[in-house]
Amino acid sequence: MTAVRRAAVEATPSPSRQAPDGDGRRLPRALHPLAWWIWALALATAVSRTANPLLLFLVLAVLGYVVTARRTEAPWARGFQYYLYMALTVVTIRVVFRAVFATGITPRDHFLFSLPHIPTPDWYAGIRIGGPVSLEAILSAATDGLRLACMLCCIGAANTLANPKRALRVLPGALYELGVAVTVAISVAPQLVQSVQRVSRARRLRAGRNRGFAALRGIVVPVLEDALERSLRLAAAMDSRGYGRAGTATRRSRRLTGALMLLGMCGLCAGAYGLLDATAPRVLGLPAMTAGAVLCVTGLRVGGRRVTRTTYRPDPWKLPEWAVAGSGVLSAVLLFTGLGYDAAELNPSIYPLTWPSLPLVPTAAILLAGAAGFLSPPPTAPTAPRPAQRRTQKADVT
Amino acid sequence: MIPSSVTRATVRVTAALGMAVAALGATGAPAVAAPQPMGRCTTSSGAVLAVDFSHWGGPVLRSCGTTPATGYELLNQGGWRTTGTGHDGPAFICRIGYGGYQGGRQYPTAGEDDCVLTPPASAYWSYWHADPGAHDWEYSQLGAMLYKPKPGSVDLWIFGGTDIKGTEGRPRITPDQLRAHNTRPQGDAGRPASTAKAPSLPPDIDTGPAPGGQPKSDPEKTGRKPTREPEKRTARPGKSASPQQSTSPSHSTSPSPSASDTAAPATTPGTSPRVVDAAPASDTAHDSGSLRPVAAGASLIAVVGGAAVYVARRRRRSE
Repeated sequence: MTAVRRAAVEATPSPSRQAPDGDGRRLPRALHPLAWWIWALALATAVSRTANPLLLFLVLAVLGYVVTARRTEAPWARGFQYYLYMALTVVTIRVVFRAVFATGITPRDHFLFSLPHIPTPDWYAGIRIGGPVSLEAILSAATDGLRLACMLCCIGAANTLANPKRALRVLPGALYELGVAVTVAISVAPQLVQSVQRVSRARRLRAGRNRGFAALRGIVVPVLEDALERSLRLAAAMDSRGYGRAGTATRRSRRLTGALMLLGMCGLCAGAYGLLDATAPRVLGLPAMTAGAVLCVTGLRVGGRRVTRTTYRPDPWKLPEWAVAGSGVLSAVLLFTGLGYDAAELNPSIYPLTWPSLPLVPTAAILLAGAAGFLSPPPTAPTAPRPAQRRTQKADVT
Repeated sequence: MIPSSVTRATVRVTAALGMAVAALGATGAPAVAAPQPMGRCTTSSGAVLAVDFSHWGGPVLRSCGTTPATGYELLNQGGWRTTGTGHDGPAFICRIGYGGYQGGRQYPTAGEDDCVLTPPASAYWSYWHADPGAHDWEYSQLGAMLYKPKPGSVDLWIFGGTDIKGTEGRPRITPDQLRAHNTRPQGDAGRPASTAKAPSLPPDIDTGPAPGGQPKSDPEKTGRKPTREPEKRTARPGKSASPQQSTSPSHSTSPSPSASDTAAPATTPGTSPRVVDAAPASDTAHDSGSLRPVAAGASLIAVVGGAAVYVARRRRRSE
């Protein structure tokens, strides 16, 4: 079992490995995780601006290209297809709900088919169940769902491309306990999958039953045992590295941190409320937001003073990082400023039905975000120990 | 033999199901209500629709429709047209336009509100009712698609801000200024009696967009003025042209749309709450765009997707 664990640990590629690229152009290395996150969040922000199906499908294609070109072989880097399934589910749920709870039927709609109508009492008049389903309703639900799906896929792309463990290093020092908890939590799922696969492979090799309820017990018990062993090992490792220390914070500094953070959070809440509600007084908006942000940053600084950390392998922030983050942010800026195109083209009319147009500037902006696919350095080559790892696993289980 | 009988039975069942579905569809689809000339609305029949364009320096336009209709249908017939929001669908009235006012332009314009999200409570079309005999407005507690105006009532749309209860931002115009005061359909002030005869015939069919009006539009064209007259008649009652209008029977109200794009009602000057009757007009032409951008976009998506597939293939080979 120990050999397997070592192999599993090795399977996560080390970002500092610098083997020459096959094409001999650039040295493969992992991009700074924050650059991918900025890129993806900016693209998601840009997506939130538009309901044009052409642009939305273009975003999906761009995401697919960047992810296939720049993902690593790490466990978290294989999940993009699941985000696509989730996106499809979102669209389907939206369409089905819109068809069943048909609201807003206009006489000019193109009716496709009709569902059985369930009459509702007068006091329930706002909701209509069943009845005729129109092409317009389906299309508007589908584009709305597609926008949400695109945003989901943007987050999925960031999760696929960025190493989550290294991304957590960016957290301010005061939040390191939170960072530790999140790191442990996100390593659990891939590890569980790995151990389930391993145990079921062992059962197959022993010609044991692999399906049904009886097999479940045979799988669950070793997996749980494995998880327990693993968490004990992790706890020991973290303890030896000094995690979980109470720190040297005095009572006064802890209270100061708490008060600053609480006030800051209140300020942020009030500020968000003031910014979003048009009737709120002006003072509540931007000033409260700024004050809250300043208080929060101060609180984090004060709290972070007691945590001293050293960096073993620093993630560099070089030209490719600037290029990737910049391409994402620029595309969001182009979609928000509305320079050089009619803002109405971002939301083509469905009532009445109109073919969507392809505005030039937003299209170029999305393609620009897609340039991240070759602006970033190639990912680290598939690690050498993979075939060896399989062999050790097989040798181990037999 | 058995299989064939089975198939026949299934075919019969499917056909029955299909017919049931079709029947449901037929009953479920909302019927289009009929727009009518203002004179057809009385104190006890028809519903008056009034839309206040004074926010853009325009008049209060009013027209008439048959009653078994929702507020939405009343607001979407006879040249009236609304736009919903991207967020809430067509049920939320974001823009209102009338084919005979500013060439069917819908207000607020795209520059003022892009109608993607729900407009703020400080600038939106608020919906008010006045039942027959009521002296004050009632803020609508239902959306336009759910509310069904009573016969003889007035529906008013004003642009501005309200609070949730509708105690602020009330209309300045009174229901009596808008409501139909005639007890019989033909009794409209500026309306000659002869026009009332015909409306009883087929106003609901003929008032549709173009087809009913087309054959009549030729005689109309020779005398363009009458087509403008019906819209102006309240503002300038007793116009000399009114007898001429009476010569062409009520069907002429439907051809009037053909000329209504001259925006006659808007040009009539008046006092501060100008009330102008809006005759049923034709729908403004709708441009459904071209397929070329769709084709261009699809090919672009195919190119980027193809690049993704190519990269994936190459990676798989190199592994």
